[in-house]
This record gives sequence, structure tokens and C-alpha cells, in this order.
Amino acid sequence: MASKKEFDIVWGMVIDLDKCTGCGACMVACQAENNVPVTKDATNKLRSLTWLLVYELSNGKPFPDHDVAYLPRPCQQCGNPACVPVCPATVTKKDEEGGIVSQVYPRCFGCRYCMASCPYHVRYFNWFDPVWPEGMEKTLSPDVSVRPRGVVEKCTFCHHRWMHAKDKARVEGRDPYALEQMEYQTACTEACPNGAIHFGDLKNPEHTVHELSKSKYAFRLLERLGMDPQIYYLSRREWVRRLGDNYLDDEKTGDFKVVGGHGHG
Amino acid sequence: MGIDRRDVIKFIVGGAVGSTLTPIPWKLTDDISIWTQNWPWIPTNIGGKNEYTPTVSKLCPSNSGMLLRTVSGRPVRPQGDPDSPLSGGKISSLAAAEAQMLYSPSRVRRPLRKTSDGTYKAVSWAEAEAILSEKLGNATGGVGVISGDENGSMNEVLSALAAGFGSDDCHFMPGSAQAEAVAYNQLMGGEGQPAYDFEKADYVLAIGADVLESWGPVVATRRAYADMRPHGEDPKSTWVYAGAFQTNTAAGADRFVAMRPGAQVALALGVANLLIKEGASATGLSGFASLAAQYTPEKVAEVAGVSPDALQEIAKGLASAQKPLVVVGAEGNEGGSTAAAIAGIACNMLLGSFKAVPYPRTVVQGAMGRGDMLAKDVASYVAGFKGGKAPEVLITYQANPVYALPGSIKTKEAFENVSFKVCFTTYLSETALASDLILPVPHSLEMVDDVATPYGYGKALYAVARPLVPTLVDAKHPGDFLLGLGAKLGKDLGFASYQKVLEAKARAMGANWADVSRGTVYVSDSQASTYGVRVDADAVAKAAAVVEVADLTLCPVMKLNFGTANCGIPPFNLNTIRGDELDSDYLYAHLNASTAKSKGVAQGDVVRISSAAGTVMAKVNIFEGVMDGVVAIPKNFGHTAFDEFTRGKGDNVSALFAVASEPGTQASVWTGQAVELKRA
Repeated sequence: MASKKEFDIVWGMVIDLDKCTGCGACMVACQAENNVPVTKDATNKLRSLTWLLVYELSNGKPFPDHDVAYLPRPCQQCGNPACVPVCPATVTKKDEEGGIVSQVYPRCFGCRYCMASCPYHVRYFNWFDPVWPEGMEKTLSPDVSVRPRGVVEKCTFCHHRWMHAKDKARVEGRDPYALEQMEYQTACTEACPNGAIHFGDLKNPEHTVHELSKSKYAFRLLERLGMDPQIYYLSRREWVRRLGDNYLDDEKTGDFKVVGGHGHG
Repeated sequence: MGIDRRDVIKFIVGGAVGSTLTPIPWKLTDDISIWTQNWPWIPTNIGGKNEYTPTVSKLCPSNSGMLLRTVSGRPVRPQGDPDSPLSGGKISSLAAAEAQMLYSPSRVRRPLRKTSDGTYKAVSWAEAEAILSEKLGNATGGVGVISGDENGSMNEVLSALAAGFGSDDCHFMPGSAQAEAVAYNQLMGGEGQPAYDFEKADYVLAIGADVLESWGPVVATRRAYADMRPHGEDPKSTWVYAGAFQTNTAAGADRFVAMRPGAQVALALGVANLLIKEGASATGLSGFASLAAQYTPEKVAEVAGVSPDALQEIAKGLASAQKPLVVVGAEGNEGGSTAAAIAGIACNMLLGSFKAVPYPRTVVQGAMGRGDMLAKDVASYVAGFKGGKAPEVLITYQANPVYALPGSIKTKEAFENVSFKVCFTTYLSETALASDLILPVPHSLEMVDDVATPYGYGKALYAVARPLVPTLVDAKHPGDFLLGLGAKLGKDLGFASYQKVLEAKARAMGANWADVSRGTVYVSDSQASTYGVRVDADAVAKAAAVVEVADLTLCPVMKLNFGTANCGIPPFNLNTIRGDELDSDYLYAHLNASTAKSKGVAQGDVVRISSAAGTVMAKVNIFEGVMDGVVAIPKNFGHTAFDEFTRGKGDNVSALFAVASEPGTQASVWTGQAVELKRA
């Protein structure tokens, strides 16, 4: 594995799964913000595009002991992304301050190696040209380019919003790399009515995600793979935390260990 | 000169090294990927000046406060409005798609009139007005109204116009507010609208009410929920959801308590019984204590399926809380028991947490108040069409009764008894296609409208939805159209325009029009007196006595991301529907493994679910969050109208609803529906 690139700013999320009720507001906000096209048969998840997908989790127990949780899954913006080394066209890189894994659409020729390598299934392939019902394309955001057929796309942490926030800081004569937490928020964070999603610089003690990521309730998905995701999840329920690191139903995960904070495993 | 083996190897190796080192193939690949993405049919970005304008959602039942982002006047998308108490900067899954619904393929683009062969013909607004004038002018057989907008002032214009023709047959579509309005205003002697102060609640018991997803102004409720639950810390409030299905509210609640559908009254009485035993009391509850005493934990377990331990724990939690709150609601937010609503109010009276806010005062002369309209029983009204009680002219406003009323009413057939039906609608719904005249209503971002004290909010409130973009289709404001039509027919309603109605309404609410018309939300602390409120214990006893345990009971599930009966499924919301909720064109019915086994069905089996009212087809999804003996089916599928994003997806659960009259209250109910399930 290539040596991990370090950044002064590490944009990350902490998602409280005890507060998420699975309403889907984050998904719709993401879709509208990032010009993700609509599909007639969107229940076919192999063909539809969902940069942010809310999964339903079950504790696997029969009624009445059953419990349910919902897990919003954006791109995990891994510290050691599996998608970057396999991309033959340098579409996807992790080389910009902030640690957001890039996706430069005009370079992508659709080999989908990145999709195969991503353990979180965050990447989506445009099987069709994007089509909106007549006139609906007029509601497209000017901030994000539309992706054609044959191109892979994924969550970018609403990267355009960071660029806007930096521009605003520059115009106001401030340091664009010393933003207040609320100056740059992703669309899903902004939309969530339960306030389940927190977003900010994981390295900045003034941003709430810094402390939250170290919570005794924090965990990351498939931690043992060593991808070092920048998405943390919180849950007071042990079964939810266990599920985060349990890829197969019959996989033995051993004794559960509380995880949280940077660089732990 | 010959070419030997060594030359060939040199050539191949040289070619490979050359190909690797030269930038040509990489440049070509780069160019190819760029130029193969440059097609004229791929939309390009259109920049411009950004503006964010506050308004309130009329598309979403949550009435989210929104900031509409426009780019050089072009609507892009709504975001939550941080200054709105109905939003707190957040937004619902449905309101988030509101701007895109401007361009919904199912929008009605011009007035349409049904011809003799059943097809529709475009007519001008002048022609439409002439047709409606003639029909209303000759309407000796009465005028009826069915409205799908519970909190807007359009209801005043509609009911005042109907009153001009001697009619008070103005109804709302079934919703959460009705059972409680009948309970509180008709049977308990109360005035005003029961109000729920979630902001301060430290213990919330939701009995069937999906308070974190579809009940009331849910974005505001969820802000209150979130504020009391700091991340990673122990919550400062306790939320308990009692229901038959682990809804989104159950997912957010600290405790899910299984309760049979339609057994709300039994659980509320059981809670009241334990509270009274703990010493709670309130005036106006004479006779109630002895009724509640019959609902011992064992009796509640038998009728509602709630475990005695859970009931004791709930009662203890409520009794020890500083600001407890009990919210009673029906599965799917319709057809709920009025007796359960009474019992819920009684619980809050015992806890000292009951309060009411005044209904918005009417400003249009002759208009019905919201409480009076809520007390009208639309199910009985439409069912009566077949018995010779049909109005001559029926006006439906942003309502879809043909799709959404209970199956037992057979609304489409009932509508055939109405001589003339006019449908004011933004989208081409099933009701529009059963009407004689379809009049397009501008989209909620295209017209001025209002939200007055939405049901479920804790305070009196007034917000104005503003016209932020030009009307894209040949639609007229229904308020302006009907005010003008009334004047021409000699039924002058006293206002020259709908905006004038709203200005008067703002004054009546105590709000400043200049402020609210700029997007500021007015909130008042005024409360309605609860003096003299009493419980009719006999009525509750009669209703509670008939709650029965069926072999298989239906639990309808409403989620805002599924859309509404009025707007179908928004294209942007389809992605949010999970693969175990809808499988292309098959709906999933959710059963737990034990129930599925007892019915002899397995995951993915196609089943026929039937009731006394009708049948739906679905696939089985085994989900252990469903109570034993219950089948949970999502609402708002199985449309036959709208567009390709909505039409033909699954089946309509409303077909299974059979209306019954509740003993004691005589209200129409259709919760706790017994159904049969067989492999198809």
C-alpha cells in the first residue's frame, strides 16, 4: 500500500445512527444539490445512482426483540482509498488539502476498476445518459457538472461548497484554510431534520466532529480493512457498532472493541 | 537484409517501451474521454446570481419552512430555512423535491373539459368559467367541497362560496386532525385545536402516531427531538413509540412497544388507569376513572398486545417526567378512533400537559371554521352519493378522493352520481380523471398561499407561501378565480383578490402582513381556554368495547418520501424507496417470520391480501419489526394516474379500508382492519 498522504485539514462526518430515522431527506437534498439524474425504476439499485444511500440495519433478532437502525452511506473519503491506485486515468486522487477523494469526470472512461475496488459500494456507473423529465433540467445546479453515460460518479462532500466557502473567505480577506464549521457544510448535513449528520474538519478542535469522532460510541465501517475512512458513525447500541465491522453474516468479529479517533483500528 | 528472431524481439520490446514512454496514447485516451462526453443532449451548467428566498412548503404535509435557491430567477432547489420554526434550517424529504415538481410530467397544463366520449379537450379559462358559472348557477341540488389542504385559507373561499349556494357540505380529506377535532370540539366541549409542545417534552409517548415521520409538522417535531439528544451523550428526553410496525419513529425512539393496530384506545386507557392509581387527577374526568380502572395491564395485554411490564414502565416514565406528552394517532394517519383521541387527551389532562390553541379565525364572510370542517365526515358524505345524497356540483381542491378514500366507499362509482365535478389540482390525479372539468392550480412556488396553525404544532402560527417563480403553465390562482366567479354569480365574498384574503387573515392571526409576506413566520403564545372540558366516559367505553383481535390485522404505513395522494411519487424521491419496499412494479407487504410461517408464505412470494372492502397484490418481505398477526403495507402506491414515476407502481392499500361507524362516537373509522392473506 502506498504511504498515506497527510493533510492539515481532514474533512469528515460523524453520523449519529441513534438519531437517524431513515427519512431520506439527505438523499433527496444530495440528489438535487449534485444534479444526480432521476430514474423511472429507481428501486433497481443496480442501475440507479445514489451518492448517498440509506441502508436499513437489523439486529437480526425475531420479533419482539427486533431492533432497526438506518445508516446513511456517502463516500467514506478513505485515508487509504482503494479506488485511487487502481484508476488508470488519474480520475480519482487523494491529493488535495482537505482529504476529499476527487472524481474528475472528463477524465473517466468508465473502466469501473474503482467500483470493483471500493469496499463500501459508494461509486456509481452511468449506464444511461442522464435524462430529466422535460423542463426539469432547468432546475439543475450550476455548481456541479452533469455526468454522461459511461462515467463513474460518487459523493464529493459537496466539494463545490468548499470552493465557494474558500472564495468567500478570500474575498473577505480571511484565511480560506481556517473556516468556521458552519461556513462549509454538505447538503445532506444541512438537510437532516434530526441533526444526525455532523460535518467539519476532524483535525480542528473547534469543529464538533473532532470530539465526536473520539466518542466511546464512535466507529467506522469495515475498520479492519485499513481504509481509514473519514466517516464516523455513532451509536449507543452495541449491535449497531458490531455490524459496522461485520461484512459477512457468519463472520467472527471476536470481542467487540470500542473504537474512535484517528488512526485507530 | 533479413529479419531474424533478435530483430523481432527488439522491435516488440522497443515498441512496448516506446508506447509506455510516449505521452501520445495517454493524451489520446484523455482526449477521447473528454470528447465522448461532449454531447449536445447533456445539459450544461447555467450560472447566474444566487438568491435564497424564504417561503413555506405547501406540497409537503410537514409544511417545512424553506429557502428557495434561485439562480438568476431560475428555481434550483429548496433548503431548510434556519429562521423558520417549522424548519430550524432543515427540510423534509418531500419538500426537498418541491422545486423539481414544478416540472413534474403530471402537471395539468391548461383547463380541460371532459367530452361526451370520455376524452379531455383543452378549453380556455373564459370557457371554463362559463361552464362552471352555468353549472353553479343551476345547482339547485347543492354544492359540495372536498379539500386536501387542511391549513390554508382557500378553505374559507371554498366554503363561503358553497354557503352562497346554501351548502355546508365542505369536507377535508381524512387526516390526523379529524378524530381529535371531533373528540375535542364535538364530544368534550372544547374549543380550539389540541396543541403539542414537543420542544419542552422530556417524555413523549406516541401511541400509533408516527411523530418523527408523517404526523403533524414533522420537521419542527424532529428539531425538538434532536435538540434534547446531544450526540454521543445520554438523551435528555425519552421517546416511546407504540405501534405494530417499526416505523421511522420507532427507529428514533428509545423504546418500541408493540401494539396492535386500532388498539390505541385500550393502551391510552391502560396508561390513564396507572396514572390515576399513582394519584393523577384532573377536573372533567368524572366517570373516566372507573372506565380506565377496567383497563388493567392484563386487559391491555389481551386487547392491545402490549406487555404489562412495558405498560408499567411507560406509566412510571410519564408520571416521573417534568414535561410528559402523549400523542395518539392512527396508523397511516387516517381513519383513527375518536374514542382513542378522547383517551389521549384525558391522559394529557391527567399529566397536566394538555393545551389547545385557537383555530384560525375566519375572515371570509360565510366561511366555515376549520373545526367545523374537520368535524365533517367525508367518508360518510361520499358514501351517501349512491343513496341519492349526491350534490349537483362537487368541487375538489388539491384532493384525490378517488384514489385515497377507503375502498369500501367505491369513490369512483359514487362520483358517477354527481352531475358535475370540477377538480382544482396541480397534478393530473385519479380524481382529476374522474372529473368533468379540470382546472390547473399553480404550483406552490408559483402562487401566494398560507399555512395557519398546522395541526400538531404547539403554538398558533402563521406563514405565507410566496409566488417565487412565474407560472409555467396556463394556470390561474384558484382563490382569485373563485372570488371573481362568486362576484359574477351574485355571491360576492367581499374580497377582490386572494391576497386580500390573506392580508385579512394575517391581521386576524395578529401578524403583520408586511413581515409574513416577506417570509417571516409569525408565532403567537395565545392559547384556547380548556375550561369545562369533560370526557364522555360512556362513549369511550362503547368504542373501546369493540376493539377485537383479528387473525391478521392491517397496518398501513405512511412515509413522506413516498409522496402524497395529491402529488404522486416525486421523481426525486423514487431513489429513496428501498428495494424491500417496492420491487419495480410490485409492492412489498411486511410480515414477521412467525406470521409468514403461519400463513405458509416466504420471502418474495406474491400474495393476495383482501378485506371486506377489496384486494391488493404484493410480494412478501420478512421483517421482524412487525408484530405477530400483522401485515404492514406502505401507502401512496398503486396509482393509475400521474406519470411514469408514479403510475403502476405497486398496489393501493386504501382499497383494503372498510369504513365502520365507531360505537359511542358514531365517527367513521377504518383502523385495525382485519385482512386475509393468501399466496397468489
